[in-house]
Parts: sequence; C-alpha cells; structure tokens
Amino acid sequence: MSPRAQRAARREPLWLLVFGCVSALCLALCGQSPSARADVAAAASASASAASAPASSAEPAVAGPGMARLTHGLSAGVDGQPVPESDRPPGALPNDNGPSPAVFPTQDITVRFNHRRHVKDLKLTCTTCHEKARTSHDSADSLLPKGTRCDACHGSDHRNPMQVRANATEPMGQCAYCHLGYSSSAGNRVAPLSLPKPNLRFDHALHVTRNIGCAQCHGAVENLELATRDQLPRMRGCLNCHQAPAPAAGRARSECRTCHLTDPSGMIKVSFASGSLSPPSWLHDAGHGPDWIERHKVVAGNDSRFCANCHSEKSCADCHDGRVRPRRVHPNDWLSMHPVPARENQQKCASCHRDQSFCLSCHQRVGITMSGPFANLAERGRFHPSKSEWTDGPRTPRHHAWEAERNISACVSCHVERDCAICHATAAMGGRGSGFPAGPGQGTNPHPLGFRSRCASALRQNARPCLVCHAPDDPNLLDCR
Amino acid sequence: MVAKVTRSLLIGLALCGATCWAREARAFKSEIDATLDAQFYSLQSPYGNPLVQRRRYTQTLALNLYDIQADRRPLGQTLSFKSRLRLDSDFGQRPEERNPDSASYIPGLVEAPLDVMYAYLEGQRYMDGYLGFRLGRQYVVDSLGFWSFDGAEVMITTPAYLALEAYAGFEQRGGLPMLSSPRFEAGGVSRGDRTGLGFGQSPSFLQESKLAPAYGFAVETSGLQWLHSRFTYRKVINRDAVLVSPFLDNGGGLTYALGDRTSSERLGYSLRADKPELGAVLGSIVYDLYNQRVSQYNAGLDWFASERAVIAANLDYFLPTFDGDSIFNWFTHRGTTSSTLRADLAFSRQFELAASGGVRMFTTEGDPGSYVASSAPDRSKDGRTYDYLGTFGGRYRFWDGSIAVNTLAEAGDAGHRYGGDITGRKQFDGGYYDSLAVLSLYDWEDALRPERGATSFSYVLGGGINPNFLSFSKGRLGVEWEHTMNHLVGQRFRMLATLNFSVLR
Repeated sequence: MSPRAQRAARREPLWLLVFGCVSALCLALCGQSPSARADVAAAASASASAASAPASSAEPAVAGPGMARLTHGLSAGVDGQPVPESDRPPGALPNDNGPSPAVFPTQDITVRFNHRRHVKDLKLTCTTCHEKARTSHDSADSLLPKGTRCDACHGSDHRNPMQVRANATEPMGQCAYCHLGYSSSAGNRVAPLSLPKPNLRFDHALHVTRNIGCAQCHGAVENLELATRDQLPRMRGCLNCHQAPAPAAGRARSECRTCHLTDPSGMIKVSFASGSLSPPSWLHDAGHGPDWIERHKVVAGNDSRFCANCHSEKSCADCHDGRVRPRRVHPNDWLSMHPVPARENQQKCASCHRDQSFCLSCHQRVGITMSGPFANLAERGRFHPSKSEWTDGPRTPRHHAWEAERNISACVSCHVERDCAICHATAAMGGRGSGFPAGPGQGTNPHPLGFRSRCASALRQNARPCLVCHAPDDPNLLDCR
Repeated sequence: MVAKVTRSLLIGLALCGATCWAREARAFKSEIDATLDAQFYSLQSPYGNPLVQRRRYTQTLALNLYDIQADRRPLGQTLSFKSRLRLDSDFGQRPEERNPDSASYIPGLVEAPLDVMYAYLEGQRYMDGYLGFRLGRQYVVDSLGFWSFDGAEVMITTPAYLALEAYAGFEQRGGLPMLSSPRFEAGGVSRGDRTGLGFGQSPSFLQESKLAPAYGFAVETSGLQWLHSRFTYRKVINRDAVLVSPFLDNGGGLTYALGDRTSSERLGYSLRADKPELGAVLGSIVYDLYNQRVSQYNAGLDWFASERAVIAANLDYFLPTFDGDSIFNWFTHRGTTSSTLRADLAFSRQFELAASGGVRMFTTEGDPGSYVASSAPDRSKDGRTYDYLGTFGGRYRFWDGSIAVNTLAEAGDAGHRYGGDITGRKQFDGGYYDSLAVLSLYDWEDALRPERGATSFSYVLGGGINPNFLSFSKGRLGVEWEHTMNHLVGQRFRMLATLNFSVLR
C-alpha cells in the first residue's frame, strides 16, 4: 500500500466518528416525539371533526338532526372571543398558555357547555353542578357533574350509562346538543371526556370552609362559556394566600410540599408523564433557563432550602465535588484551556477547587511549579514571561506584582508561600535554609494600601502569617501591636 | 489499597444489611444509591514530560432512610438519615509519587482515599413546625459559600416570618486532596500528616491537621414568597501546630505557632425581593472579619419584562481571601468587578434563549510603577485591566430529547477564549436507551504564554441503557467517548463509563 493510501486508511476512522457524531445530532434534531405525534393526531382529528361537523374555535357551531346551528359553549370566550384578562384565574399572565401541563395535564373536552348561560341567565350556582367541591379532600376526585344532573332540565335520561336516552321532543335533550361529534349511527356512543387528575395535592373542602370562593382560584367562570384548562389555578395565584411559615398551624403555608406531590424522600416530585416541573422565572428568580448554571450561585446562596425542595446534596456534589468533569462548565480541551479562565476569573475555580491541594498537586505532577519533583528550572526554562517583564519592571499587566495584586489565587495554584517569602520576607527572615541562591529576604512590601490600619486586629487574631516575614522585634510588627 | 477496598466493601455490605432490615421492619423508607464512574485519559506537561495517566474509578454509595419516626404526613414532622460515601481511586498514579523518599514525591497524593461526603440525621417540623435539626456531617450553603462540618445544627422557625439557625462542630478538613473535597477549608494553606517527613521533604505541607472548631448562626426570613433575606456569621478556629517560617531561624531551628488562632471569620448577608409582575432585586455581601475587608458582593436587578422575557443587570465583586494562617491574604490589593447585562427569553416551554454581555475590571491601587518597597504609590493615577465577556445559549426540548447550544467569548489582558458547544440528547424506546452527541469548537490565547494558545475541536459520542429492573429501582449504564484535536495535545481521547443504580422503597 502506498504511503498516501496508508494515510487515507488511517483517516477513515476519524471521518467515521465525525459522521456518527453529526448523525446523532441530526437524529436528535429530526426525531419526532410521541407528544408531537399526539399533537399531529389531535390536529388531524380536529380537522376531521371540523369537516364532518362544522365546529371549530374560529367559528363555533354544532348542528344535529332537527337542531339549529349551536354556536355557544364550544370555547371559553363568549361567541368565540378571547377571554378577558379579568376573567382568568388570579395569577394568570397574558399568553401564558395555561397552567403547567406537568401539574394539570392536557385535557380532551368533548362536550359543549355554556357556563355563562347556566350561571347568569338560569341563576344556577357553581355547586348546583359541582356539589362535590364542598366535600372533596383529594385533587384526584372528579368534580364534574354526572349526566343525571343535566336530566332535570334537558329531559334526557342518564341513569343507565349503558342506555342513555335522549329527549326526542326537545333539541336540547338530544345527545348531539352537548356531546361533540355525536352520531346516532355510531351505536349511541359519545366521545370520551379526558380530564386527567392533577399532579397536585389539593383539598377543595378545606378551602370552601375557609370561605374561599370558586372565583378566587378559577376566575370569573360565570362570564365564560366553556371552562377550559386555562381556568385552572396558577401557582402565582395560590401564593397570594400561601405566605405563612411552617409553624403557622391552620394558615396557608408557603412550603412547596403544601401543594406539590412528594416522593418517598420527601422531595418534590418533578417528573410526570405529562412533563417536568421547573420553577418559573418569577418564582424566587429561579427560572432554570439556559444560563441557570452561571447564575444559580446567587439564588442558592440566598435560599438553599428553597433548592432543597427538589434537589438533594447529590445534585450539588455531582458538580461541585469533582466526581466527573462537568462538560457544560469545562468544555472541550479544558486541561489545556484552563489557565486562561483561571487567571481571568479565579472566583469560579474557587467554588469547587482548592488551590493548595487540587491545583497545586496536579501542577506539581506535571512539573510546572517552582517546587516539586520536576521543578528543575535550569532544565525546563521559565514558565512565566522573561525576568525583565515578570519581575524587574516596569509594572505592566505582564508583571507578576500586578497579577498578584489582582488575583493571588492564580499564583497560589502553583506556588507555596516559601516562593513568595524568599523575596517578600524581611532581611531577618527570608531565605535561610531555602536552598535558593536568592539569599536573605528583600522585604519587598506586598501589603495593600491601608493595611497599617488593619494589621493590629489581624495580628491579634492570628500572628502566624505576620511572623513568616517579620521577626518578632521588627519595628513594623511592633507598630501593629 | 486492599484494606481500603475491603473497608469500603464492608461498609457497603453494612448499608445493604441496614436496607434489608429496613425492608423487614417497614417502619420507614430506605434508599440505596450507588454510582460508579470510570475515566481514562492522559495529560502531558507543557514541557513534554511527564505524562500523567489518569485511571480514575470513583464510586459513591448512599444510604438514606426516610420517615424514621412514623408514617409520614404531608406537612408533619419528619426524621431522616442521609449519608454518602465516596471512594476516589486513581490507578494511574505511579507508586514513587506517593513515596516520600522518592524524587517524584507529590505531597498529598493518595491512590484510593475513602471519604464520607455527608452523613447526618435530620429532623424537620418538630414541635408543630418550630424546630428542625441536623446532626452529623453536613453541608451548609449560603452567601458564605459551600461548606461542610461535623456537628449539630438547630433551626427554629417562628410564626413571625423569621427563622433562627445555630450550628457548631468541626470544619470538614482533609477529605480528598486531589479531587477537591477539602474545598470546605479556606485556601492558601496545605495541611497533612508530616510524620516521617524531613524539614525539606515536603515544603507545601506546613501543618499538621487537627480538628478545627467552627460555629456560626444565621437569621433568615421564612414563609414569605416575595422576600428572602439571610444574615449569617461563621467562625473557624485553627488549632494545628504550624511552622511559622518555611526557613530555618537564626538558630537553625524551626519555630511553630501553637494555640487557637482564627482560620476564618466572616459575616454574610443576602437578599432577594421580587414582585412577579415586575421583577426582582438580588444581592449578597460578605465581610471578612479577619481581613477586615469586603471579600465579595453581588447585586442584581431583574426585570420580568413579560411572562417570557427577563432583562437583568448584575454587578459582582470578588476579592480572594485565605485561611488566617496564610500569608496570601496580604498580597491581594483589590478585587475584580464584573458588570453584566443579561436577557432570558422563553419562547415556549420547550424553546429558550439566554444571552449576556459585560466587562470585568480590575483597578490597581495607584500607579503600580511607582509602588516600591517602603514607599506609597502615586495615587493620582492607576492602572486598569478589562476583560470583555459574552455568552449565548439556547435550548430546545422535545418529548424525548433536547438540543442545546452554548457559546462564550471572553477577551482581555490575560488572553481570550471564544467557542461553543452543540449538545444533542435523545432517548429511544420509551427511555430505555439514550444517546448523547456533543460538538465543540474553541479558540484560546494565553497572553502570558502565547505558545499555549490553540484552536481545538472536540466531539463526544455517548449512549446508555436505563434498565429499571424493578418498579422501585432506577439504573443506568452509559459510556462516553471524547476525542479532542488541537496542536497542543495532538489527539486526546477520554473514555468515561458510568453505572448508576438506585433502589427506593
């Protein structure tokens, strides 16, 4: 095989890997999800319904045998108009697309119902139909009225669900009057109504006994026609009342687990078949957006107990405890790249790494420290810029003093205090026994301005660092005493 | 090594035994969570040698017991026990690196240290919700940082929207020298056992390591959703015998500092106040009582422009501070201040974007050129350095996967970094299989060492299976392959294998 062919053969695996990588990304991008498929199916079904029975939110209309076109009760707004913001539940924001599907899974409402007509015109109350709301202690309870509740006025007979009878003499007693898509030729069957139970803990009875009206959570349903998911409560609305600390017995506690479901560990369940919970941006300013990893420090530092509702120590330790390099924080060839961010912003390193153990030990292993097994400067040459720039002056940003004044942590990740004390210790202290030719310390003052005013307290609390560079009888030290 | 592995196995067996016992008793719920990560990669000295081989096996084993006291009520009192052990081994180490008599000796290097990450008994909402406590090795996370101690913490929550917290014990020290656990200690010093070491043999090991008493308290708001504020104080005391100077004294001997000394003493305050329709104010400040300086502060103003948009401004200041035993406290003159503007846009529950930009600034104390020994600098002029920062990120989540883009640009006197990653994740077969692909391209330049600049391309391919053997268990077996190409390392490969298993019942 020619050398060229050999090179080509060697390259092939690399290209295969790149191809595989791009393919995986394409798969991720192009794959159609079950939910997407469901959406498509739902859309197709809706289209079909619209074709067979001209009912759509844009032009609400249902027609049955012997019935005029029924245009009400198909959507929330009157005559298909948007719901006024004032009629939506407290805490709902414009265009918020309803409550979280993770808490209130999407519904499939297959009946036509006009709340406005029943409440305002016919003077019924909420509990006329939803009477179980007075006694329900569990959010999983169905509070929908049974069909028999409708019979008295509509003349139908729902007593036997397997043999529901329509009122043949009254249009409003016919099945198609309420049940969307009903066809008498389909074996007297109606489309199933799907109102999944919410992933939430809620006691209707308790709220009723506290004189909390339906509208306080559900908005002005009496002004609307069909009650949709959009009328379900928003957490923001709940928090109007839920503002009490844990010992506030009998009051609306603000603890997350007051309403949210918990797993056996006591933490909030965040993953459901209908989606995952994630805090909205307005809640404790803790929106877990794409930049959350950069900004979580401030939120967690202020209120870590809030984080602990969903996260255990493991969540923190997995990243902060160096188990595996978090690629989101340390991308690409981090081992080669890290000196630049470490010098730019050592603060971020310090949130996980300790300079005199993690950094220094590794730097010693690869021989880039002044002390350590491979610290043979004569053989390896200088690590830093030339002496004329790095130590002699002028003091530019490439001078070591400038770097040390700004970010001594970067220095400490390679140097032990002996490396600094050789020059910065006073003549009486530095250099002896160091094995370095620099000789006695030169007393180059490293202290910041104003240090003199602070030194007495520091000396009193811990004299050790002072005595590294100053002899006990050093006049500077005596001044501090 | 064998002894350590045996010890970890015994502890694991004990935990399993405890779980079995828990299952029989059925008085409480128990959880075993185990993780194993194996990583294989190499890193090379900038000088060409030595070549350090990393053959890391990291294993954690957690035992958690919940509802120890009785059947749980949603807002009733709870008593739980949580613990996690970690075995961190690197079989790529050369034996001579751990031999104090070898020229290759690296102080602190341990092949397979075993670490108790945390282990504590926790009670919540006792005495009608007034009292909470923790006993054992535990973390504290607040404006003073991510910290750990062995001891007791008591928290009293009052109906007056205030909670009081007090704790005392010993700071967690030692931990795992190479893998960052000792971060709980203030930096700038290196502790360890000097037994058998000569004076010049281990210069970075200045101190013996004794228990360090620590105590603190905090007062914070409780119950209010729109406001959270926490004031906190903490003090840690050194009691080690410490070499005063790395050099021999006039008599040719060594002087030690003994007795109780301040390791760190700090005050912190943080605040968040928000109004959902408007925005939020966040801030924190830390005052180092030993250094008598503000060591960090952060102030942020977030405007919730709409349900889908947040515009924010942030100011961040950081001044490095160290353990009270360290001389490095006295070298820092001023901190760096970063100012950033940020925008978060959530177009839907699936699609979000975030972007930020700003500048990081450092100002010298007067003219550095005129700052010489025994004289004050010319304060009429100063020097400044600037770094310019920018990030952009986006994420699109779909039912069984996500795709994310993260880019950053930083440029300044220390050099620059420009680059970004594209990360795709997708599950198959209802989550039984998952896959990962990452493409990454970065360019950087190191102003102090121009020859260490590079343009680097990296990709990662990974996948895993999630066999949940039983309804109450979770498990994942995954592998990742990372390949990096740049002129500094040529081709670098990294293999990562993970095995996670969790049983909760």
